[in-house]
Amino acid sequence: MTAYISLMIAIPLIGALIAFLTKTREQARVVALVSSGISLLISLIMLSRFDTSFTGIQLDEIHSWIPSLGITLSFGVDGIGMPLVLLSTIVIPLTVIFAWGETKEPNKFYGLILLELTGVLGVFTSLDFFVFYIFWEIVLIPMYFLISIWGGPRKDYAAIKFFIYTHIASLVMLLAIFALYFNAWQITRTPDFNMFHLLKNYPLLEGWLIPNVITIKDAIFIGLLFGFIVKMPAVPFHTWLPDAHVEAPTAGSVILAALLLKMGGYGLFRVIVPLLPFSDSPGKMITLLAIIGVLSILYGTFLALAQRDLKKMVAYSSISHMGYVTLGAAALVPLSVSGAMFQQFSHGLITGVLFMSCGVIQHSAGTRIIGDLGGIAKHMPKLTFVMLAGFLASLGLPGMSGFIAELLILINSYANLPTFVILALFGIVFTAGYHLWAMQRAVFGTFNEKLGHIHDGADYEIASMAVLVLLIIFFGLYPNPVLNMMTATATPLVRDAAGLVGVIV
Amino acid sequence: MFSDYAALIVLLPVIAFVLTLFLGKKLYSGGALLPIAAIAGSFIISLGIFFEIYPDGMVRQSLPWFANFNIGILIDPLAIVMLLMVTFVSLLIHIYAVGYMSHDPAKPRYFAETSLFTAAMLGVVLSDNILQFFISWELVGLCSFLLIGFWYHKPSAAAAAKKAFLVTRVGDVLFLAGIVLLYVNINEIIASGRFSVVPGNFLLQFSTMFEAAKLIDPTQLTYITLLFFGGAVGKSGQFPLHGWLPDAMEGPTTVSALIHAATMVTAGVYLVARTFPMFAATPGTFVPGVPDSLLVVAYIGGFTALFAATMGLVMNDIKRVLAYSTVSQLGYMMLALGTAGAVAGANAVGISMFHLIGHAFFKALLFLCAGSVIHAVGTNDIREMGGLFGKMKITAITMFIAALSLAGIGIPLAGLRLPIFNIGTTGFFSKDAIIEEAYAYGFERGDYIPYAFAVIAALLTSIYIFRLWFMAFTGKPRSERHPHESPGVMTRPLMILAVFALFFGFTQPAFYSYVSASFDFVMGPAYEGGGIEPPVIVVLLPVIVGVLGFLISYAIYYKRMLDMSKIISSGNPLYKLLLNRYYEPTIGANIIGVKLTHDVAAQSGEFVDRKIIDGLVIDTIIGKTTFFLGEAARKLQTGVVQNYASVTLLGVGLLLILLKLGGGV
Repeated sequence: MTAYISLMIAIPLIGALIAFLTKTREQARVVALVSSGISLLISLIMLSRFDTSFTGIQLDEIHSWIPSLGITLSFGVDGIGMPLVLLSTIVIPLTVIFAWGETKEPNKFYGLILLELTGVLGVFTSLDFFVFYIFWEIVLIPMYFLISIWGGPRKDYAAIKFFIYTHIASLVMLLAIFALYFNAWQITRTPDFNMFHLLKNYPLLEGWLIPNVITIKDAIFIGLLFGFIVKMPAVPFHTWLPDAHVEAPTAGSVILAALLLKMGGYGLFRVIVPLLPFSDSPGKMITLLAIIGVLSILYGTFLALAQRDLKKMVAYSSISHMGYVTLGAAALVPLSVSGAMFQQFSHGLITGVLFMSCGVIQHSAGTRIIGDLGGIAKHMPKLTFVMLAGFLASLGLPGMSGFIAELLILINSYANLPTFVILALFGIVFTAGYHLWAMQRAVFGTFNEKLGHIHDGADYEIASMAVLVLLIIFFGLYPNPVLNMMTATATPLVRDAAGLVGVIV
Repeated sequence: MFSDYAALIVLLPVIAFVLTLFLGKKLYSGGALLPIAAIAGSFIISLGIFFEIYPDGMVRQSLPWFANFNIGILIDPLAIVMLLMVTFVSLLIHIYAVGYMSHDPAKPRYFAETSLFTAAMLGVVLSDNILQFFISWELVGLCSFLLIGFWYHKPSAAAAAKKAFLVTRVGDVLFLAGIVLLYVNINEIIASGRFSVVPGNFLLQFSTMFEAAKLIDPTQLTYITLLFFGGAVGKSGQFPLHGWLPDAMEGPTTVSALIHAATMVTAGVYLVARTFPMFAATPGTFVPGVPDSLLVVAYIGGFTALFAATMGLVMNDIKRVLAYSTVSQLGYMMLALGTAGAVAGANAVGISMFHLIGHAFFKALLFLCAGSVIHAVGTNDIREMGGLFGKMKITAITMFIAALSLAGIGIPLAGLRLPIFNIGTTGFFSKDAIIEEAYAYGFERGDYIPYAFAVIAALLTSIYIFRLWFMAFTGKPRSERHPHESPGVMTRPLMILAVFALFFGFTQPAFYSYVSASFDFVMGPAYEGGGIEPPVIVVLLPVIVGVLGFLISYAIYYKRMLDMSKIISSGNPLYKLLLNRYYEPTIGANIIGVKLTHDVAAQSGEFVDRKIIDGLVIDTIIGKTTFFLGEAARKLQTGVVQNYASVTLLGVGLLLILLKLGGGV
């Protein structure tokens, strides 16, 4: 048994505690960088030990915790979790570097960032449903504080909206988890919160929750699904996201979009896709997922077009891009599902660049309103360079990671969900539209003299964005290091779903 | 030996791009040297490969990439002639740009981007699969965006760059949809056991596609090819996605030359040529014996040739006249693929490609001459030029040669049954063959409409190009500037291109048989000739209308026998229609772009989001909950976090109760 994962989770937690106790900014940020850096190192070691040809859980470890309830501290990764672990340990150190200049209560600020890392790593590696849920909830708290302390003018509204939305979703998910747990208990007579055991027993469930309205199986399925898609977020449960982003500090936005949203997608692959074939109405569930996916893609795109605030536009673009994840998962074809997993990974990198760009612009120009900017390229050439790269990646330019993901999703989903793929294709032009429109208005053109003297991003800001851009290009040209493990896991994952199609095809 | 280094054709300019972008100012000559050397290297390798594979060899290299896709190189006759043209013309334009861009402070960025532009186009040309083709194709689009918006501080340039990207993107999405549909169809015939990919080959390789096309449901094949053609319409500026191209001259003139001649717009024609066996395999439901997709290609091409030429007649911006000319000439290339494809099989590929390459020479020449003129007089408006002949002899003469070539002037001696070969400019050989094929198509299929498009467009072409020349170079000077001839680094490329614009046409027979053989392996050998011997009047007509156009322009714009402003007032509705470009910018940008997309679709989405989802549903809940939480918090004198803790505790308590009920613990 190895202990990579527990070490990787524990180090940022310890780092967070130390950071809270530090007295100076210098100490706090160094602690944050070092401890998140160690996590990155561990995840890279894990990557090198990871066997792509093996489809199951590996690098696993188990520690007993509450035997009477069957709760264990068990961790492990497969093609679903490993790439997201890598993403988390890449994004957090870069966020720390990007936020190197934070002056407001730096000890808490960096401590909370580290807590986020602990939380998301726990979510992506826990194999015990109860522990999974605890980490799922842990993630909420630091984000709530990041928004409510370091946020913008409407931070209270945004923080509470974020909190209520995701907490209600979590509670619904918790009920569904309990239902799974008790069901398994009825059958095996042993308390066991192991995620895979619980999922395996799902097909044995029977009966109605409300007679002739909804079966227990469907209710559990929808409960779990609700918990995940609110987090992603999918239309129509998305409105907390733009508000949270608008008010959140840049580092918070980056973590929120790059990592927290991925928890929802992770849940789709870890829980929803394996359960779907065994729900009582798989066809309807596929259709439901496909509708949610395509609605998110198109709705997010058009809403992005309507925005005047650059950051809000980027927030809506996240909704649109996460719609691809749902669509690819709903198609239940190995390569569409691994494409959707790749979209998660890719979007995490890309959205980091986008939110960082918004942060640099806000900091330098004092506004993010597209119409009030204009021609800032003249004074911010470095930012323009990395920002343009991020925007092009976001609109799906080939040679960058987003294209690979969207291509795999579209090309492989068509066989099962042709109508939905055609609708999604329709959105591509408009996706390019709002990205270029924003660049043209905010960055290019004549410099708006009212902005006064503006300066380019700090070197540490540009550097962390540049690293993300390089990764986006690297994985756009050579996706295999993560794509292969995703495909390896996705293939057995959808085996039970062979032959399933949606209701509307 | 050169074949082993085929990948360098693309990689050299890519390396030059990276180095120039990051080291630019530190490099010799402000970053110009490296891209020029790289493209020269690509040209030499291409030439070496040409001599190695001529007359019947090809280069194939392939590596697995991700999922079930590959990355590879295919250099067959079709690809090698494109490679030679692209590298050669791009090289000359780069050399010319050393002079043209000498005063621009952003010179390193310019050369870096043009280098990438060339690399992307070369990537399109030597792709061995449709996915890689598409990826390179998109990178071409990116580079055009960057280069059209090169002077990004100009709002018009930023807008034109966006328009170019978005309009071609419409085509790109259709192209992508075509790839999706193709992929699905190939997978379907594989799943049904009727087809299997040859071991070592890949799903989206051209060779696999052509074999699969024979088995795919014909209706689906029509959809696939028409979607591909949608991409070509966007990239090659065909109606109705032509509007971006005339606006694209907001970039430096050398960029226009690259876009219009060597890179980008020819990619669309090349796409149809590259996948020609699939187009030719579509069923003929409208005109018997004419594959549906080729019929669409012929009509869109023919119509665009005429439609664009009408606008070329009235434009006053020298580059805009040339831009419409490009749109029109690309229409001819499409027309050739469609009509000749219907009557002469894969010969259409040779005929179309010959015009593509000939056009690349004289259109690059026209743009570079225009650049030379603009460089000298400081304006794009031909009404402010005039009398430049004496001051810029080299530019004037080379531009006249290019105009002769564009107008297709020559003497069809062989066509008149005389025992001598034809004599004429490059455009004469390439365009007249297209017009004759359109006639052959009409003769065999009883549909003369494409032929009529082609002949009328030829007349208009001759009129607008000589109008431009006479207005710029003859008459009295109409500006205060004292223009002088451009430096040698600019005029020498003009002279070289002029040689090709004059004499490249003589390679016609060898070119046709060489390039048309590209698809022998899938379609069988193409039969020789168009099948019929056209009547003498048909052979003469293209030249007659070319000369007629010259005479009309000579009479009006040189001899001033007619004053156009008296005949056509500025309020004339037809004139206004043409000058406003058939209101395409208004319809495209204002109605579709702003009104429908932004004002209607996006704003109604915003309304739903704010007023319905948030306003009616969420804020009510949040309002109530925050009130409740606030009340509770006030009572407990704690903050939200304590509430959170209590909620979590509540959850755990609930769990314990449930466990109790379940009989555990």
